[in-house]
Amino acid sequence: MKRRTFVGAVGGSTVAGFAGCLTRDGEDDQGNGTETGDPEPEDPDLEGELRVATYESMVDGENPAGPWLKQAFEEEYPDAELTWTIPNNGINDYIDREQQGADIDADVYLGANVDDLVRIDDNLDDGGLLRDLNVDRIDRADRIRDGLDMGDPHGRVLAYDTGYICLVYDENVVDEPETLDDLTEPAYEDALLAQNAQQSDPGQAFLLWTIDAYGEDGYLDYWQGLEENGIRVLNDWSESYTGAYMEGDRPMVVSYSTDQVFANQYDYDMSRHQIAFPNDQGYANPEGMGVFEGASEVDLAYEFLDFALSSDAQAQIAQRNVQFPAVAAEHVDLDEEFDRYAHVPPEAVTVGYEELRGNLDGWVENWAREFASQ
Amino acid sequence: MRAAGLRRRSTAVRRWLEHHALSLTAIATAGVLAVMLYLPVGVVFVNAAFDDGVATLAFFREVLTDPFYVGVLADLFAEPLAVRAHLESLLGWLAAVSVSISLEYPIPGVPLPIPWPSLETPGIRTGLFGFTAYQAALSTVASVALGLPAAYILAKYEFRGRRTLRSLTILPFVLPGIMVAVGFYAMFGRTGTLNQLLGIAGLGPYPFIEWNPLAIVIVAHAFYNAPLVARVTVAAWESVDVRTVETARSLGASPRRAFRDVVVPQLLPAVLTGALLTFIFTFMTFPIVLALGGLQLATVEVWIYDRVRRLAYSEAATLAVLETVLSLGLTYAYLRYESAQSGLARGATSPSRTPLFPDLRTALSPRRVAIVGYGILTLVVFVGPMASLVVGGVTDGSGFTTRHYAFLLERQLEGADYQTLPLVAIRNSLLFGLATLVVAVPMGIVVSVVTVRADRGGAIVDTLAMLPLAVSGVVFGIGLLQGLVFGIPLPGGWRIQVTGAVAIVAAHAVAAYPFVTRNISPLLANLDPAMVESARALGASRYRALRDVELPLVASGIVAGAAFAFAISIGEFSSTVILASGGDTYTMPVAVERYLGRRSGPAIAMGTVLLVITAASFVVVDRVGGRFEG
Repeated sequence: MKRRTFVGAVGGSTVAGFAGCLTRDGEDDQGNGTETGDPEPEDPDLEGELRVATYESMVDGENPAGPWLKQAFEEEYPDAELTWTIPNNGINDYIDREQQGADIDADVYLGANVDDLVRIDDNLDDGGLLRDLNVDRIDRADRIRDGLDMGDPHGRVLAYDTGYICLVYDENVVDEPETLDDLTEPAYEDALLAQNAQQSDPGQAFLLWTIDAYGEDGYLDYWQGLEENGIRVLNDWSESYTGAYMEGDRPMVVSYSTDQVFANQYDYDMSRHQIAFPNDQGYANPEGMGVFEGASEVDLAYEFLDFALSSDAQAQIAQRNVQFPAVAAEHVDLDEEFDRYAHVPPEAVTVGYEELRGNLDGWVENWAREFASQ
Repeated sequence: MRAAGLRRRSTAVRRWLEHHALSLTAIATAGVLAVMLYLPVGVVFVNAAFDDGVATLAFFREVLTDPFYVGVLADLFAEPLAVRAHLESLLGWLAAVSVSISLEYPIPGVPLPIPWPSLETPGIRTGLFGFTAYQAALSTVASVALGLPAAYILAKYEFRGRRTLRSLTILPFVLPGIMVAVGFYAMFGRTGTLNQLLGIAGLGPYPFIEWNPLAIVIVAHAFYNAPLVARVTVAAWESVDVRTVETARSLGASPRRAFRDVVVPQLLPAVLTGALLTFIFTFMTFPIVLALGGLQLATVEVWIYDRVRRLAYSEAATLAVLETVLSLGLTYAYLRYESAQSGLARGATSPSRTPLFPDLRTALSPRRVAIVGYGILTLVVFVGPMASLVVGGVTDGSGFTTRHYAFLLERQLEGADYQTLPLVAIRNSLLFGLATLVVAVPMGIVVSVVTVRADRGGAIVDTLAMLPLAVSGVVFGIGLLQGLVFGIPLPGGWRIQVTGAVAIVAAHAVAAYPFVTRNISPLLANLDPAMVESARALGASRYRALRDVELPLVASGIVAGAAFAFAISIGEFSSTVILASGGDTYTMPVAVERYLGRRSGPAIAMGTVLLVITAASFVVVDRVGGRFEG
């Protein structure tokens, strides 16, 4: 009897209806911000909801900068409300939306890399999606350090922080590599862990670093040497660092130059968290912020960009997200501990917009095929 | 008078509903599939065949003639008519092939020889598809080999905690890929748990992961899929009609003979089902291969992900369509076999179980010793990574710590509403899991009933119904995003969007019902068709015959299917994260991913919470279900 009731209940239930939601596309009359140039308004509208699109760790990791930014911004602009939105696939979501004519639900994009700009321009009109910034409206823009210019010919983004990719190694097992060439030497056989440049930011940064060092024609030969020397290319930073490196499988990993900040916080043995800058270089990955072409709160968006470069915000972003500030040293006050454990390379390498445009996909594809070809 | 009229009318309505219950459920199933599966998949697949709105085969030609993807077959696709040239090169190749079997010692330090077939071939290029199929085949063999002994023990022996263990078999299923990877490193890494244990005995450390990346990937695949093989097989074993065995025995068959001739044929469809599902899953495996093995072991899905990431949808769709075609082809071949099986089982009187360790003497018999050995192996492969993961959640550089759990607590108490709160994730996971179970079980049953023992057409319908398993997860995700989240454009500038809780449950149900079907169909096929026919002859509607005659006999399959449905929902990540964006409908795996920053502690703590909550609910689901199994 019991059996029958169960079966009856299951068999008789019906499938629930769908929570469909019907919307109508807005008139896209603000679409082309390019020609207006966003002149400074006499009476800026500083009231309303500013929607900032960003990545997960800005709001959801351990002690992220996001909540601080929201609170401090709302204190400074009492009529404004800052809301965070986290797209699933970063900038790609907005390129897709733009291509399909779907609504873009954000005013500011926080966290654009140089290759994001390249991807926008490869898929949409040149200089699309984000507005050409009128930098005169952002007073603190001239505080940004030299060398963090993201090289966008359309001037769509300003850097707000940067990270440096380097090697983290265990000094009990290997010596500090002086050059990239050293990594192909027997002393580093089966030592190095890297990440798939197809999907990992540090992985792609390391690949671009080798392209900068050995040129378009030489980087695959160099990687051949790395492969023969037993490099392991894992999916993503998490597995290679948290998994393979931290469990002692290998003594060296492509990682961030802020590694010791975490090692210090979590009481890890510093001898396993040494930083190496081969060729006296590190690869710089500046993160930029910009304003969407179709933004509805343009004035607030400009204020936010300026605010993010203020001394307080720069210190909070740097220390909470464990990144380096974008502004010059005199404009930001960092804890001594942060200064001590976050290392800056003697020379920062970046492959800029002009070189990436039209080349990036091919470089990565040729590299990946070299590895995956059976 | 009025009351009587009402009663009469409601009886009529009930009768009508009962009469049409099956077709109504079928229509509802079709509706859910249309919106939540065919539409999003279609939105992406269309890119493979159209270039700027013009139909084209260029994308397929490009992939099929590229040796990187299809290896030596590229020549064949490039010039399909050059038969003579192809035959000549094939003969030349065959002439140079040699197969040898050598004894290898795959476990370092342990003198356990395993015959290792090695194939000497003159440099064949398998291409990305070839390698993907190769590793999937190896993973399937490993999963079946690891899963069947578990099924045997769970079905044949009685011991304390047997039911609980049976409920927990599919626990690995819900773990996010990154957690499995971290768990494997924590277990098998050079400073991992296993090496620490061996270190106590003065052995090691051994580079288990470095030693052979492909082997560790296959073990990880078995970690996911052997439980699946085991669970499907246990369900079939528990519905074996014991009387058929008794008949065989009374006719003089030895126990071994009775097992081989009577039990095995009833189990084989279930075992093959498990193998088929394993092959399809590992054929489309994604994060785990590169997380443990490395880029040298890249599969087709890795390339699909890359193409989606750089917005090259045509190439992504082309690769995904080929993946799906291969998976469905295999499914069709299997289903033709399954529907040809017609059993004569008339009851599910599950076999009586013998106590596992009744006394010391029995415990030392070779069979029991082998079982203990297998138990140790499962401890290493299944419990080890999960236990090591749990330990990772309470350690940092200085040893024991509760800071990662303190993070969860603090986030729950002080987190803002735009942050991810642990309790909300737990609540959503449980609610969606239950709702998925309620929706997916009838969907799965209907598909089984419609297709079981059907003709060729039925096998085709059944094959198409397995589409959720055979579509690249990456493509399904992007299809949901472009189709349902961005909204489907309607005339007049309107867009209809489908997101939120109901959409998530529907997406989960779509992913889950094939498991219900695949658990039930082999058992339904095994029943004697005469039983339904006599019920129908006595005036029962098709629905009543199903409800009162067939389903009770396959209850163990339904319970297994329901457990899978629940597990799929709890573990589902790729569609949940897309449909949950911007709302508070995130689940536990989504929370794990969102907490994963530069330090993994908080994510691992959340992963542990996911494991504990899921384990507890599996036991409850199985207990509740078990009451109906009899």
